[in-house]
Amino acid sequence: MWNEYSIGLAAAFACALIGFLALVWERDDLHKLLLIDLVETASLAVIALIGTDLSEALILPGLVVGIAELLALSQIYLTKEGYQHHPVTRLNIEVMMRSPAPVIISAILVVYGIILSGFTGGGIAGLGIVFLLMSRSFSGDFHALEMASGISWALWVAAFFVFMFAPQWWYMALMGAAIGILLKVIAKMSLVGAMWGEPE
Amino acid sequence: MNEIGGAPLFFLEFGDIVIYFTPFTLTLFILALVFTVFVLVSRPERQIDIAFGGDAYYAKEISLSELRFRRFMSIACGLACMGAMVTGDVFDFTLFVSLVGICNVGIVAAVKSRHVQNAAYQYGLVALAGTVPMFSAAAMIAATTGTLSMLELAKGMILIPVAAKALLVLGVMGEGMAPFYAAKAEMFRAPGAPYVIMCSLSSLLIFLRVAEVILLL
Repeated sequence: MWNEYSIGLAAAFACALIGFLALVWERDDLHKLLLIDLVETASLAVIALIGTDLSEALILPGLVVGIAELLALSQIYLTKEGYQHHPVTRLNIEVMMRSPAPVIISAILVVYGIILSGFTGGGIAGLGIVFLLMSRSFSGDFHALEMASGISWALWVAAFFVFMFAPQWWYMALMGAAIGILLKVIAKMSLVGAMWGEPE
Repeated sequence: MNEIGGAPLFFLEFGDIVIYFTPFTLTLFILALVFTVFVLVSRPERQIDIAFGGDAYYAKEISLSELRFRRFMSIACGLACMGAMVTGDVFDFTLFVSLVGICNVGIVAAVKSRHVQNAAYQYGLVALAGTVPMFSAAAMIAATTGTLSMLELAKGMILIPVAAKALLVLGVMGEGMAPFYAAKAEMFRAPGAPYVIMCSLSSLLIFLRVAEVILLL
């Protein structure tokens, strides 16, 4: 009766229950949104409990849907409360002016991400670029970046069509999908990093 | 196979994800399609307000950008509905249903009125909370039976825990709450008639479909 799966499920639902209880008492709209995001994590835990490759494939769309709803709701919150544009200067984490630390850290993250490849690698390399853009007040033209993101996404989709219709070319499709998702996630996350603040 | 919606007429296979049409799901699919076409071709209603104590009245202007956004959201909602009607995969079904939820929030939230936005925000919170039981249900079905294909599950070889079915219904209820928020008086102050209909219609359709899914499993 109480195997590992049941214990994990009980723990995840206990977390979700605690989150929902907090939600019952919370009155502030913004805090409600944050608490619901917390509860959402418990549902990802339930998906992760499947414990096979399938769970990784299911977490991804689950996470994307959660983030999409979260972004939509935060946008509604901003309009609802009438908050306007708040200029944000760069993320000030450096003690010295113009220290090379962010460049070195970003370079390590990018190289490590490329070695990992795939979605995880894309995430890590993207994080490196986000970090760099956040610590330098960078303003530039992002058309090239957006285009790279779009093209790599098309590569990813094309690779999936190869999987479906010409399975004997699976190795090529695998490499195409891995590179496509790597570039796509890097480009998307860099755009997120650049959206952090508008130059004043 | 437990043929609750009639004998399947047509299968469309994408690997192990099978889209299938039974007379029941085909009817719902056509309904969603027809209403999506209506939304595509119809022009929004311009709400008339009568000035109190006089003969004057004025029509509310709907800006082109707002109209475009709401129309886009309604069409996306219709497409998500069509997907939810015919998919043969439990996880895909939950994804389509949560997409319907997001689109409903979008349809409502485009209206630039504080009260409408408040209602949309509260509904969005419920929809976001609804994804928790829904994805949990799909994950539990996959973990206990080893498959997410409705055609496989309909054979009734392995028993699905009642808790998973209950969570699925609970999640769909959370996502499909839009008409209850639309029933608030504030919603009908919002101009743009054909689009709000899509909220109600999509909820009706996903409730009909989830009943079929639960009986099928």
